[in-house]
Amino acid sequence: MTAVILVAAAFLVLLPFVYESRNLFILLTQIFVFSIFAMSYDLLLGFTGIVSFGHAMFFGIGAYSMGIFMKKFEPTMGYFLLAVLVVIILTAVVSFIVGLLTLRLKSHFYAMLTLALSGLFLVLAEKWRTMTHGNDGFTFRVPEQFIDRTHFYLLCLVLVVAVFLLLKRFTNSPLGRVLQAIRENEQRTESLGYQVLHYKIAASVVSGILAGIAGILYAISLRFVNTSVFSMDITLDALLMTIIGGVGTLVGAIIGAGLIEFAHDWLTALAKEHVIFERWIIFFGIIYIVVVMFFPKGIVGTLSSLSWKRKKQQAVKKEEKAAG
Amino acid sequence: MDLFINLTLNGLATGMLIFLLAAGLTLIFGLMDVLNFAHGGLFAWGAYSGLWIYSETNSFFIGIIGAVITGFVLGILTEKWIIKPVYGNHVQQILITLGLMLVLSEMLKVIWGPNQMMASPPDYLKGSWELGGIIIIKYRVFIILVGLLIFAGVQYVLKKTKIGLVVRAGVMNKEMVQALGINIQKVFMYVFMMGAGMAALGGVLLGPYSGVIHAGMGMEFAILAFIVVVIGGMGNFKGSVLAAILVGLSGSFMAYYVPDLSLAVNMLLMAIVLIIRPQGLFGAKG
Amino acid sequence: MNDLLKLEHVETHIGQYHILQGVSFEVQKGKVTVLLGRNGAGKTTTLRTIMGLNPASKGIITFKDEPVQSLPTYTIAKKGIGYVPEDQGIFAGLTVEENMKVAIQTENEQTAERMEYILNLFPDLKKFWKKQGGNLSGGQKQMLSIARAYVNENELLLIDEPSKGLAPIVVEKVMESILQMKDQTTIVLVEQNFMMASTIGDCFYIIDDGRTVSHGTMQQLKEDEEMKRKYLGIA
Repeated sequence: MTAVILVAAAFLVLLPFVYESRNLFILLTQIFVFSIFAMSYDLLLGFTGIVSFGHAMFFGIGAYSMGIFMKKFEPTMGYFLLAVLVVIILTAVVSFIVGLLTLRLKSHFYAMLTLALSGLFLVLAEKWRTMTHGNDGFTFRVPEQFIDRTHFYLLCLVLVVAVFLLLKRFTNSPLGRVLQAIRENEQRTESLGYQVLHYKIAASVVSGILAGIAGILYAISLRFVNTSVFSMDITLDALLMTIIGGVGTLVGAIIGAGLIEFAHDWLTALAKEHVIFERWIIFFGIIYIVVVMFFPKGIVGTLSSLSWKRKKQQAVKKEEKAAG
Repeated sequence: MDLFINLTLNGLATGMLIFLLAAGLTLIFGLMDVLNFAHGGLFAWGAYSGLWIYSETNSFFIGIIGAVITGFVLGILTEKWIIKPVYGNHVQQILITLGLMLVLSEMLKVIWGPNQMMASPPDYLKGSWELGGIIIIKYRVFIILVGLLIFAGVQYVLKKTKIGLVVRAGVMNKEMVQALGINIQKVFMYVFMMGAGMAALGGVLLGPYSGVIHAGMGMEFAILAFIVVVIGGMGNFKGSVLAAILVGLSGSFMAYYVPDLSLAVNMLLMAIVLIIRPQGLFGAKG
Repeated sequence: MNDLLKLEHVETHIGQYHILQGVSFEVQKGKVTVLLGRNGAGKTTTLRTIMGLNPASKGIITFKDEPVQSLPTYTIAKKGIGYVPEDQGIFAGLTVEENMKVAIQTENEQTAERMEYILNLFPDLKKFWKKQGGNLSGGQKQMLSIARAYVNENELLLIDEPSKGLAPIVVEKVMESILQMKDQTTIVLVEQNFMMASTIGDCFYIIDDGRTVSHGTMQQLKEDEEMKRKYLGIA
């Protein structure tokens, strides 16, 4: 799988040099940003079995912090890096506190508290007008290094691959294995002597930081930020992407992000034909419900278990032949 | 004094609306360990369908009945098609109900358009009374009365009827209830239906109270209801009404004195409860 | 065929654990059948499997000549099996009266009669009629649980370790009442207390590592020192 990703990435690196379409690059950049966001979500949902309904808050913290730094200070590389540092600290602290409060309780509590907290951040963004300009949001300039869309496109691409490889290593590390053990059977992991709470908090902190980074990239790519970054829709995007793509696979998150962003682009264009397409998300809502109910492994998981079955059948046939 | 009474009435009215939403949530959770994240969607459906029927028939009363029936129907369908198939798997359940929430609120926009809709109370509930210089808005009193009535009704059913007894027993030990020959799935369906009906009732009452309704209000109120369910204790019906009043009042007073902090105060309350008493402020389950 | 209940090669999985690996036994009408065996041998799971609380993954369970292994718990209970779980399963927030009310399926003369009978057997319950189940003593909880299982016209009672955690004098009281109920109903009893088991029981089955390994009449077991040592750890 990693090889496929690297080949695809190589292709995407070369793309800007042979093909020029501003719209396509904006769309692809968007897909990269949401791939990172969805992968960070997959670490929680797919690898640790934690359901968060407030992932938007980390995304929003990232987006707003960057926007505010660029607007209130100078749009330079120095302030950019400072903003990144602030985002990492903020998201780490928030995810740590939320995790500490609720991860020792039943899964419902984490879902509820994150949902409510992200609602709180949304209100904060609406009310703290001196910083955020309320609902309308604000535009800002970005460091000159990011003005060229192609550069930024490449940066995002590199980050997607980097985050993918990082999470791949992370989930295969001893720590990642404990996380998966928690997902499979929390009590048994606890009885084996692991401090389940610590591991869960670690997962939620890593996930929170990566979501914050996705938020930073999102803000830079739009050069604009408003309260929508804290909205439920952002969390829903992460959910739809990971679930439909396939949880616990990382690749599924990337595929899901691509699918939904493409569909978003394509179906909103169709909205001129029929208003139902303005509500395109409803289709994904229905697909999502069907996937949760019947294909809990999503596209990637279902495909790979199908091909695994086929391989197994072939192997059995071969054996039969050999025996016969 | 005038201000104090008005803020109190306002808080009580909001509290009652939250209670209508939270009561179903807490019972559904207590009985079957199901946290229904689509509950706010049922609330919003109550608001839209009720307002629509109200405007078509010109009768607020029929609108209310229509909303409650909509809630019942959606509740039964939800339980049958969404909750039951994934019963027993918590993660799947949480995920699927949130998906339903998305679909329900998008459906509202498909049917009634994405813009918000205006709503006002019927003539006989418009305006206010003046009592010794204090102005009391009729519709608020109406909401409080309806809320109290529903509370008393549910309390009566829980305390005095066999099915209520079974529900209370089920919250305490659902395995034993089944071992005594009771089909708890069926009981659960009724509870779910009633919960959905109450949520829809809360929705239709909210319309004329706030003046406008929009598809996002389901989620907004659901967040308050979740806070209430945590503060009151999951599965604790009486706790939910007390917590709803608490949240309603604190919201009302905070909104007047420090408007920017009203949600924050309730969140803080919930965080404190989660730290010191995860089973809720008001006693044990039951 | 006067077997009220029959288990044939019943297996049960809980999660990924294979708890019952082949339990077979017959329960004759009017008798008290005792299930014996070490802790964790699968006695409780056997009762839970009969009730459908941990459904069997293999094998046949016949109750009154009818297979019941794939029925939901409440249907099995309705067919006439009363269950007294290990933890008694009292609804702690309900009063004694309400606990009984939940149990009664249809109120009629029979249940009224049975109620009277059982309350005479356990006068404590009458005394604490309005007290919350959670505030009863261990012995009273046990009595309430048995009463609840008995009050419907159940032909079979499954009683899981009634002596557990009770003071010897209370154990005696519970034992006496079960002895009295013996001619009213059929009982499957899980019991670690050999004194109690041998006093009440007519026949026994020993479960070890999820299988029934031996059976016979209680008299046979009393005389078989070897068996007692091997499976029950009593000399």
